[in-house]
Amino acid sequence: MRRRINLGRDPWFGIALVVPLLLWVAATLIYPLLEALRLSFQNVQYLGTAGKYVGLSNYRTILLSKDFQRSAGLTIWWTLLNTAGKILLALVCAFVLNQDYRGKTFVRNWIILPWVFPSIVLATMGKWLLDPTLGLINYILVSLGLIEKGISFLGNTTYALYVVTALNVWRWFPFFTVIFLAALQTIPKQMYEAAQIDGASRVKRLWYIDLPHLLPVIKVSTLIASLWSVNIFDLIWLLTRGGPASSTATLPIYIYIKGFQEFRISQAATAAIVLFVVLAIYGVIYYKRALDIELEG
Amino acid sequence: MKYVKSFFKYLSVILVLMLALGPMYWILVNSFKPTPELVSATPTFWPRTWTLEHYVNLFKQVNFVQYFLNSLWVALIATVISIILGALGAYSIYRCRYPGRNLFFGLFLSIYIFPRVLLLIPLYVTFSKIGLIDTIWTLVIVNVTVVAPFSVWLLRAFFSSVPRELEEAALVDGASRLQVLYKIFLPISAPGLGALGLNSFLLCWTEYMFAAIFILSDANKTLPVGMAYFLEQYFIDWGLLMSSSVLIALPAIIVFAIAGRYFVEGLTAGAVKE
Repeated sequence: MRRRINLGRDPWFGIALVVPLLLWVAATLIYPLLEALRLSFQNVQYLGTAGKYVGLSNYRTILLSKDFQRSAGLTIWWTLLNTAGKILLALVCAFVLNQDYRGKTFVRNWIILPWVFPSIVLATMGKWLLDPTLGLINYILVSLGLIEKGISFLGNTTYALYVVTALNVWRWFPFFTVIFLAALQTIPKQMYEAAQIDGASRVKRLWYIDLPHLLPVIKVSTLIASLWSVNIFDLIWLLTRGGPASSTATLPIYIYIKGFQEFRISQAATAAIVLFVVLAIYGVIYYKRALDIELEG
Repeated sequence: MKYVKSFFKYLSVILVLMLALGPMYWILVNSFKPTPELVSATPTFWPRTWTLEHYVNLFKQVNFVQYFLNSLWVALIATVISIILGALGAYSIYRCRYPGRNLFFGLFLSIYIFPRVLLLIPLYVTFSKIGLIDTIWTLVIVNVTVVAPFSVWLLRAFFSSVPRELEEAALVDGASRLQVLYKIFLPISAPGLGALGLNSFLLCWTEYMFAAIFILSDANKTLPVGMAYFLEQYFIDWGLLMSSSVLIALPAIIVFAIAGRYFVEGLTAGAVKE
């Protein structure tokens, strides 16, 4: 690569451009992070009141608490379900939409629409569709004779998590479908032609050409999907508030309830720091393995 | 045989489309049904009678216009700030060289893994101290924090498609670096900035968690928070929720119709490495 004589010169120009963003992030991301860290070593109850330093006792309390452990386990399960759901459904839809048909460009540009929907609309839609007496889902199930009476899916400790998962997957799968579609379209036509000459079946083409080609994109998408699933708050809160009986209280919900309903600010901050550390470790490992992003120059 | 194949092909495409878009149809149609039909035991897939009563109620019974304007202000101001900070930051990261550049890039990417709920507590305390709590400025600030670093990532594909030779040639011709940036580079990257604007607008427009905590008085509520109140009632006014759902989704769809193409491009170019 040839040297970039002009653009590389004068580091101060580059630094001056990045400083505003850097300052913003420092003030509203790094400073709160340090503040939360400080709170986690204190015993602050209500917001804005002072506390004493208590060492690691919050960490002991939180990590040993049954509620926290349960919520952590639930978060892992939720993340797995959501990530798998989004990626698998998106893969299937991408293969379907990658066929040759009329209006393909239109479909490709508009399939992502559920992703632009506000959580509140999604929550409204979910509550409406799943309402025990008015909801379409229960109406269909009753008409088919599968159940006798409408079920309150969101009020049921067994179903609630899966119902919220389904709605979240519904919102996000088009996002990943679009990414997979784009990746599928970069496969050279010659590869398909060669496969056709060799008489390979569609299944074989899918297995030996499409999936290997998609693999790097699937890895990146899985990382993004999982990180975005862990941190989901709005949808769960609006649909169930973590209930019934904490059956949908993933860590963000748990932290919110601890801090803003039970007014245990320090414990909430501690749980948030723990979550952050775990995510950071996961993120770093995964970035290094799957992404290896490099800056040019 | 050929027809059968073609039939299944179109059937599968239509099924996927119905899966993605069907629920929206259901909301839209229901927002036009009079309440008795809306809550009747047998759902109708096409309204027997059409009415605008739920839309009228929205303006009569609810502070809808106020919520709408609050949301709009937050989204617009935060988007402008995000574009400026994000575009400058991204240009610096991708086009300039100085020590610490990789570190900054990592820092901006780390917003991905940052649990947003972690920001709630410390920011609430800070905003209270400086007297910003219960104003839409809290939301502007926090939305920029979430969006701007992400834009560095989003702009990657767009920025790397602008040939360096163009900038170098302008520099040789005696333009300053700042001139090169705003007269040549940014205009060429307009689609990328459009994608960034879309992403930013949508995230701010739909944000709920921060708005629910930082805003206390009814007059300063944004749409998602205003609507959530109605969703939490024991007797839910479904008609009101249906019509407000349509009206809150509408701006998102309009913005998407304008800049969606660029966003999809940027999204896919960023994820699909050549």
